[in-house]
This record gives sequence, C-alpha cells and structure tokens, in this order.
Amino acid sequence: MTAVTTRQTGTERPSSTGPAASRAPQRPSKPLHLGTKLIWVVVTIVVIAAFWSIDISWDALLTLPQKLVHYLGLMFLPPAWSKLPDALGATMLSVAMAWFGTLLGIIISFPLSLLATRGLTPAVVRWPLRGVFAVLRAVPEVVIAVLMLSVTGLTAFTGALAIAIGSIGTLGKWGYESFESVDRGPIEAATAAGASRLQVMRWGVWTSAKPDVYAFWLYRFEISVRASAILGLIGAGGIGKMLVDNIQFRVWDVVGMLMIVVVVVTMIIDQLSGMVRHRIIEGRWELPIVTALRRRSVKRARSESVDLKITADD
Amino acid sequence: MTVAGAVGDVRPTKPRTWWKAVVVLAVIAGITVWSSIAIGVDVAAIAENAHNAANTLIQLMQPDYSFFPQTVPALLQTVQMAIIATAVSVVIALPVSFWASRATNPNSAALGIVRFIMNVVRSVPDLLYASLFVTVVGTGALSGIFALVLFNLGILVKLVSEALDGLDRGGQEAALASGASWFKANRQAMLPEVAPVYISQAIYVLELNIRASTVIGLVGAGGLGMLIDQVRTFYQYHYLSLVILEILVIVVLLELLSSFARRRLIK
Repeated sequence: MTAVTTRQTGTERPSSTGPAASRAPQRPSKPLHLGTKLIWVVVTIVVIAAFWSIDISWDALLTLPQKLVHYLGLMFLPPAWSKLPDALGATMLSVAMAWFGTLLGIIISFPLSLLATRGLTPAVVRWPLRGVFAVLRAVPEVVIAVLMLSVTGLTAFTGALAIAIGSIGTLGKWGYESFESVDRGPIEAATAAGASRLQVMRWGVWTSAKPDVYAFWLYRFEISVRASAILGLIGAGGIGKMLVDNIQFRVWDVVGMLMIVVVVVTMIIDQLSGMVRHRIIEGRWELPIVTALRRRSVKRARSESVDLKITADD
Repeated sequence: MTVAGAVGDVRPTKPRTWWKAVVVLAVIAGITVWSSIAIGVDVAAIAENAHNAANTLIQLMQPDYSFFPQTVPALLQTVQMAIIATAVSVVIALPVSFWASRATNPNSAALGIVRFIMNVVRSVPDLLYASLFVTVVGTGALSGIFALVLFNLGILVKLVSEALDGLDRGGQEAALASGASWFKANRQAMLPEVAPVYISQAIYVLELNIRASTVIGLVGAGGLGMLIDQVRTFYQYHYLSLVILEILVIVVLLELLSSFARRRLIK
C-alpha cells in the first residue's frame, strides 16, 4: 500500500493540483515541485515565444478547411488509376534503391559495428567509430544525397549510395548495442578456450546476437523504403520524383493516386518485413497484423476469464 | 550447427537444413541483382568523378562561417516550427491517445475507427504531407507546421496509446467500481500513470521535428531545408557544410537535453 502511494506521488507531479495539495504536509519533496513548476513556466514561455515570433500569416488558417476539401476532392474524386502502371514501376525503382542501399550499408556497417563493440576492441578504435556513427545518424539522407550529387550525378544509384551511407549510422549503433547486450557466458567460454579475437566475435558474440541483428536489418530496410521515396523528391528517381513532378504540374488526380500507392506500398512492405522478422525471432511465419489481432483476442479472452473468476467469487 | 544438434533431442525434427539456407541466399542474391540492374549501378562513374568528389569534400571541410548571419533566420524558423508543431500535436494527441487505447476506451467500434485513421496518418511520409500542404497553403512555415503536426500525431498517439495499453488498470477499475464515469476514471487513474511516458515522448518528437524540419524545407515548407535547397542549386558547398554543421549542433544539443530529461522523468 505504501509502495503504491509513493509511486503515485512520484508520477503525479505534472498534474499535482486539487487533492494532492491538501495532502502536501505528508510530502518531503516540496523543493522538487518548485523546480518542476519552474520548468513548466520556462516551457510555456518558450512555446508562447515561438508562436508569437514566427512569421506566419495566420489568416491562411481561415480558408484552410475549404481549400483542403477542394484539393482533396481534386486528388481523390477520382484518383487517376490510368497512371497506376507508371506509379508501380516508379515504386519498384524506389524499393530497389532502398534494398541496394540497405544491403550496401549492412556490408559496410557490420564489421565496423563489431569494431565498435566494448570488450572486443580497444577504446582507441571504438570511440572514433562511434563518433562517425553519431554524425552519420544526425545528417538526414536527403542532405547526404545532395552531397553525393557531385560524385555520380543525380541518379537512382546516387540515392542508393546515400541510403547506404545514411544507414551505416543507425546500423552501426544498433549493431554494437546488440553485440554488447549479448550474454557474457559464451564470450568468456570462448576466451577461456583460447579463442582469438576474431573467433570470440564469431562464436561468442555473433551466434547469440544473430536474430536481433537480422531483425534490425529488416527494420532498417523499412526505414530505407520511406527514405528512398523522400530521395526522389530531390530528383533521385522513383516514386518521389514522379510525385514532385506531378505536384509541380498540378496534375492532382495523379498526385492522389500516387499518395494512395505510397501508403499502400509502405504498409505492404512493413507487413512483409514484419513477417520475416517474426520468422527469425519466433520461428514461425506470421504477418504482424495477424499477431496484433491474436494478441487482442487473447487479451480479451484473458480479461473475460478474469471477469468470470470475479463473478464466481461473488 | 553443432549446438543446434545438441538440443536436437528436445525437438522433433532438425529445424535447419542446408537447402533452406541456399534458398534464402538465392532469394537475397536475386533481389540484389534485380535491384542493381534497376538502379543502374555504375562503379565507373564513381571512379571517373573521384577528382570531383575530392574537391567537394575539401570544400565541405571548410565551412564558410561568414555565411552564418544569413542562416540565422532559417535556423530560428526551424526551431520555431519544431516547437510550435510539438506543442500543437501534444495537445491534440492526449485525448486521441486515450481514445485509441483499449485500456481507456471501452467502445471497440470507436477504437477501431481511430486506430485505422491513425495507421493511415502514420504511413504517409512527412515529406508527402509537406508537399501537399505547400500546394494547398503555399510555401512557408505554416505548411511545414501542418506537416509536422500530422507526422507527430502518428508517432505520439501510437506510443502513448501503447503505453496506456500496458498500464496496470487497478486504479481505473477501482474508480469505475466506485461509480466514476470512464472519463473521470481515466483522468484520475490513468493520466497520472502515463504522464511521464507522455512527456518523454513529447521531447522525443521535438527532437525528430528538428531533423524533419530540415528535410521538409526541401519542398518549400520553410526552415533550414529551404536554405539547403537554395545553396545546393548553386553548388555552394562552403555554405552547405555550414548549414549541415548547424543541424548537427542542434540535433546533438537536443539529444543531450532529451536524454537528460528522459532520465529524470523515468528515473
């Protein structure tokens, strides 16, 4: 009971009014509240300052609903399905870009993340590598692609290279994090048996980290698919380029169709990759949506059984 | 392989055979070959332009700091857009997340509708929203804010409603049993429990928005992205590297701030 109350006072901070105030004498942590209040005041001031200082003509808001309805009507009533084959071709190009870039990123980042793992390499190697990962993560793919323009010109290949470089940052970080969270037992055993550094990585680390690593490779592919659509917007080809071209020429029904294609394709790829991920981790093929539905029904069944128990107790 | 063999007696069949590995590898190799043909891999082009690339890199290494005063308005706009978008989406996301969580919404039909809408909202990339609003509202920060708000809503509602799903519902049950309405029960029992998660996700979203607002500017939605678009068309790499440096600094600062704040919140 006491544990419950202390936990509640701990989490209640943001909304500590009314009943909490009347119980105030019981709490020793008044100064902390003052600090929190100060933070809230600062946050409020910052938000208000942002609203007040930004250069926006807010009257645009008034006409927005009617404009939005107008444009949505132009886009989706009806979408231009006749251009669907073109859109699918462009989508395939985007997906190819994402696949190739991710694969290249995996090939480059994998050895690097092993080198950045604590316990496997000296700090001299580790920290510069982690710094590189952090910088690569902070730079958006689009910016990397802009930088790559001078190297290969603006092609889908540029896009793939940009995705590769961009994914090195995240993949490298996830890689060394999962290598570090591996159970130490096999590593110790391998070391004790006289394994070299490389052998420790192969038999002590890789075997246990494998499922996680495969899973985040797939997850990164999902991110890359989204990124490749974005790269098209600066001209790297694929669905993004088609979209920008059509927006520029104000062909709204094609834009609407493209938006539907983007959403549907993203959903399908997420489901497929989720299915493979489920196979890797759980050992069975299953679509994520099926997993979600089953979990829901299991939960419902469980709560119903609890209800039954309660009524039985009555 | 040998390890798998040792536990083989627990399992009815040996789960892995060599041909499965071959099939998987073949599929991966097949997709890779197809993708490399589709995007037109051109290693020769890299070699040819190596000199060009080296030049660009050298220029990038020397950011032109005198350009800084000209970047300040865009920089400020990026931060303003991120703050405003986060503030607006935080306000909208709170009721919607309660609406979208099974733990706090007893009406399964309403639940399904909200979840479906949020799924659709989430699967549209932020840049798509940006280009859409740029055409509807016009170029500038306002369309960027709209795009960011929708982008944030998708993330916030998903994360917060999932946190709500995972909460202990004892307090809520007690409140309902004592005759409280669902709204009151959620307000008194669930909201305080989810508040730390909610705030920490809001900070996370703010961080994402700084990154995103650099990108959505490329289609004309304001901020540093617009500046990137301007300097890239003139190949001004000295300027470009300064802009990238600024983005890096903001992102790193915010990351430090948010990791500190989240550690304080979760404790």
